[in-house]
Order: sequence, then structure tokens, then C-alpha cells
Amino acid sequence: MRQGWTWLAGAFTALAMVMPAKAETVRMTVSFYSAQTGPYYEKMAEEFHKANPSIDVKIEVVNWANLLQKLQTDISGGTNADLSIIGTRWLLDFVKDGIAEPLDPLMAPGFKERFIGPFIKPGTIGGKTYGLPVAASARAMFYNKAMLAKAGFPNGPKTWDEVIAAAEKIKADGGNGFGLMAKGTEVDVYLYYALWTHGGEVLDANQKAAFNSPAGVKALTMYKMMLDKGLTEAAPTNYTRDELQALFKQGRLGMMITGPFLMNQIAKEAPTLEYGVLPVPVGTNPATYAVTDSIVMFANSKVKTAAMKWLDFLFTPAPRIAFTKGEGFLPTTIEEAKDPAFTENERLKVFVSLLPNARFAPTVTGWEDTAKAVTDAVQSVYLGTSTPEAELNAAAAKANQSLGK
Amino acid sequence: MLIAPSLLLACGVIGYPFYEIVRLSLSEVSRFGQIRGFAGWDNFIRVATDPIFVDALIRTLVWTVTVVGGTILLSVPVALVLREDFFGRGLARTIIMLPWSIALSMAAIVWLWAFNADYGMINATLRQWGILAQPLQWMARPETAFPVEVAIGIIVSIPFTVTILLGGLSSIPGEIYEAARIDGARPWQSFAFMTLPMLRPFMNIAIVLNVIHVFNSFSIIWVMTQGGPDNRTHILVTYLYELSFYLGRPGPAAVVSLVVLAIVFSATAVYMWLREREG
Repeated sequence: MRQGWTWLAGAFTALAMVMPAKAETVRMTVSFYSAQTGPYYEKMAEEFHKANPSIDVKIEVVNWANLLQKLQTDISGGTNADLSIIGTRWLLDFVKDGIAEPLDPLMAPGFKERFIGPFIKPGTIGGKTYGLPVAASARAMFYNKAMLAKAGFPNGPKTWDEVIAAAEKIKADGGNGFGLMAKGTEVDVYLYYALWTHGGEVLDANQKAAFNSPAGVKALTMYKMMLDKGLTEAAPTNYTRDELQALFKQGRLGMMITGPFLMNQIAKEAPTLEYGVLPVPVGTNPATYAVTDSIVMFANSKVKTAAMKWLDFLFTPAPRIAFTKGEGFLPTTIEEAKDPAFTENERLKVFVSLLPNARFAPTVTGWEDTAKAVTDAVQSVYLGTSTPEAELNAAAAKANQSLGK
Repeated sequence: MLIAPSLLLACGVIGYPFYEIVRLSLSEVSRFGQIRGFAGWDNFIRVATDPIFVDALIRTLVWTVTVVGGTILLSVPVALVLREDFFGRGLARTIIMLPWSIALSMAAIVWLWAFNADYGMINATLRQWGILAQPLQWMARPETAFPVEVAIGIIVSIPFTVTILLGGLSSIPGEIYEAARIDGARPWQSFAFMTLPMLRPFMNIAIVLNVIHVFNSFSIIWVMTQGGPDNRTHILVTYLYELSFYLGRPGPAAVVSLVVLAIVFSATAVYMWLREREG
């Protein structure tokens, strides 16, 4: 009889150990950066679960192009996950509707200090931290070494004048000089490279459209001139960033401006391609575009503490290094940046060195509309329907309407 | 009385979304569907004064008329050929019907590859035949991209239309052709004065159903050009999608969907009326 009681007590203890008080499930929506994104998060979730058996993390991978639409639908229906990766430029819309949860009260002491200053800043609105930078990248110019050496610029062009001179030589040899993209996302940013490096700004201090300034007109006129002279690939309105990158990987494009992820792609798909990385060409001053994606927590989450615990784990050095290296991004935390994978990569260093001059997308409502207005303007100039000045002015009027100015 | 529950259900299923759309169209709505206030006719004015909307509306009509018109023009001869009894007719019918079995967006992706400027099958073929010296950038300009999309719209609409027409043709008794031949009718005469009139009711149904379907056809244009470049391949549904999900403006998007609804509703009314008339 006594033995029976002991057995029963033992069974209960065992049961209690197998089934902890209450398992919590944290759901996270993750954007598809590459084929490794899903497996990386699954692996991290498993590791995290081993250390915290009471928390289960469920990962859902969504294609970047459909992410905002999915979130919009989920949020309207109240079926959103607890956490999600979003483009930091969308954050303001989330905060304004009270959908994003301020993370400061949940953070462990010293957590916020793990991040690199300029990268956490775009995720901070009104003094509160809403978005943690999960992915960061900057833009630089990739050039094909063989083509540029033949054109007389073995170390690559540093200024726009040199880009044009090199592209003319490449064209004489029958190649594509400078890659222009005018389809899909970031068409506006591609114009801003030239705008910023000629001393222009997209928005002025009052958040009013300023891209139709003389610098903006000069930038677009320069691109259009290059297109008309055949210094770019034929028909930029047919090329998205991916399609331009494909041309570059095939060794059929002299120069293009894009992010560090192209390095990973080249290493995998075109390992024999000889290429260099340089800052965005200078007109009057250096500049580049930097962009972060952030993790946000939704205000309607019921497992906020558990979710924060998982975030804390994600932003420790080992998981960060694995992620950033795997995807080809820039480090967003101070500790991971010290890893030799980043400090000893010459090409990546170029990107890091550009950060002091980097511009981020401003957190204003109407940024997507501004992007769309500028994209339309660029496309109609390339198609030859209108002049840069007229188009940029029209786009500025449209943008100001959405910016509420 | 007995149909009351299902009638109620039908009203709810149709009525609730309609109510929501009307409510959204009259409100100031945030990206995530939160209603910030009553907007009155603001959304309507904003949409009506948007040149992209007006362009898209006109282009939708062009799109519908050319795709449906082209489909009918091509489907009639195809159906006539497939009615004849010839060796391999089963195979020919299968080939004609095959595009039907592929999801529209998949078909659009495949065609997008075919029309790729650098390694597309179309450019490769045209260059082999010596028609093109330089690769043509089909999707770069609206002047070429839109006709390509119309052509694909026609190709994917043919199977359905041919099916309807074949059904119509099989209902025409063979004896009357024999009688006509004995009376000295030439083949084109028997086509123009017998086949066409007797096919008319089927044609009408094919046209109306195609109009409703093509009008709302989203995948082809969205996959191939997303309404670009420079907004010059947008039709109403692609514009609606862009408004709602890219620019985050559910209010104006609701207005556009009301316009779409009104047009499709009138097309449906015409269809009902035609059916009634033909009894």
C-alpha cells in the first residue's frame, strides 16, 4: 500500500516536470529574405524552446511583397501574430493606430544599449521604442572589374563624371555601362542616390517634398541623358532590382548600386565573377541610403513577457551573427559587429564606412505615396513622355497632398 | 416561408460586405481599417479627380472590349474546325482546352518569361526568323506591354468560349446543312445565314460571361506589369489593389470597388435580361 502511494507521488512529480504550469505560444511573422530565413528561425525557435521549455515559438514566413498586405488583413481581422518583421518605414502607421506595443517597459536593463545607435533610432517614435532593427543594409556601387579595367578605371569610378566616362567606353565595346532600375520597389531611391550626392534632399525640414529642387532635376536629367546616350541597359522600365542584379551576375553589366545581399548571391551563383564595391558615386558630396527592417510587438498580444524573452534571445550575439552572415546584411548590434566575419570582409567594410553619410527613409505618413509619385515621374521621363522638371514638380504636388502639406 | 432562412443567409452574405464597403467609402480609414471619422464625399471626390482612376476606367473598357472581342473572333473559327470530324480531333480539342487547366497567375508568369527581353522564347524566335535585329523590350513600354497582355487575355479566354460555342454548334441539326447544300448554298452562305444566327444565343451568353470575367481579371496585368510603367497598364482591379494594399487607403479603394461593383452589376443585369428573352 505504501509503495502504491510513493508510486503515485512519483508519477505526479514526473508529470509536473513533463507538463510545466502552462505552455505559452509566441507567434511570429517573418519576412522571406532568402531560402535560409525560414530554417534559421525554426532552428532558433528550437534552441530557445530547449532553454525555455514553457515557451513555444511558432514561425510563419511570408514573402516580402505580400507582407504588408497580409499584416493589414490579419490586423483588420484581429488574427495577427504576436511579433512581426516589418519595414521600418511602415512603423508610423502602426504606432498611429495603436497597433504596435512600446517595448521599453518590457526590456531587460541594458537591452537597448546592445544596438548600434543609428539603427535603433528609426524604430523610436515619440521617445518610445517600437521597432527593434533585425536587418540593416546600406547601398553601395558594385562594379565589374574586368569591364571597368578595360574602360580605364581599374579601381572603379568614384564620381558621376567618371561613371559616365566609363560607361561611354563600355558602350563602345558593346556592353551595358551603368544599370538603371525603373521597375518595382526602390525606383525612387535609385533617383535619390543621384539627388543626395548632388546636395539635394527628398523632404525639407518641414517634411514637405523637396525632391523637385535643382539637384533633383539635375539627377533625373543626368540619368535620362545616360539612357538616351545608350550608357545604360536598354529599357530600364523593364528592370527590377533583381533583374539588374541578374545582369550583373552574368557579367553583362558594368556598374550598379545595390545592397550587400548581392555579395552573398554572387558568392553562390557566380563565384568566378571579379567585382569590387565602392561608395555611391559622388557629385558634390557623398551619400547613400540605409534601410532597416524592424521587429514589432502587437499591442493585442497576450504573451508579451514571453515574446520579449524570445526577442532578448534573438538579439544575443550568436543568433545575430548567424542571421546577419546568412542573409548578407549589416550587423545591428554592437557585439555582433565585432565578429571577424564582418571586420575582416573588405567589401562589407565599404558598406559600414558609408553609414555616417547614410540617409534613412523618414518616418512620415505618406512616404509610400511619395515613393509612388517619384517612381511614376521617373518612369514617364524614361519613356520620354515628359521632362524631368515638369514630372518632378507634378510628383511633388502629389506627394505634398499625401504628406498633408 | 420555407425559403426564408436561406434568403436571410443570402442577404447577409451579400449584404454585410456591401454595407462594409459603403461604410468604408464614406469614412476616413487608416491603413489597418480603423475608422478615424466620417469623410462624406471626400473619398469619392478624391477618386473622381484622380487622373490615374479615369485612365484606368477607360483602359478597363478598352481591355474588356478587345479581349472579349478578340476571344469571340478567334473562338468561332476554332469551334467550327473542332466540330468537323477529322483525324486527331480529340487531341486538338485537348490542346485547345489545356490552357484552361492552368491557374491564371501561373499562366501569366510563364508568359512573362516567354516575353523576357534577354532570354525569352518570343524574342529568341523572332530573332531566329530574322524579324528582329535587337531584342525587343516587350514589358518596358505600355505601348507594347498592354497589347501583349490583351493577347494573353484572349488566349486564356478561348477554351471557355470554345466550349460554349461547341455546345451551341452541336445543337444545330446536321440535316439543315444538307438541305441548304441541295438548295445550292455555298459554305460561307450556310455559315452566315444558318450557323451564325443559330449560334447567336450561345454567343450572347459567351460574351456576357466573358465580359464579367475579363473585367475583373487581375492576375495577368498584376503579374506582368503591376499596372506600370507609369500607371499606363492599370485597369480598375489592379488600381484598386494598389490603392488598398500598397498605398494603404481603404477609403478610396472602397469607392473604386463600388464603381467596379456597379459596372459588373449592370453586365449581370444584361445577362439576366438576355436569358429571360431567350427563355
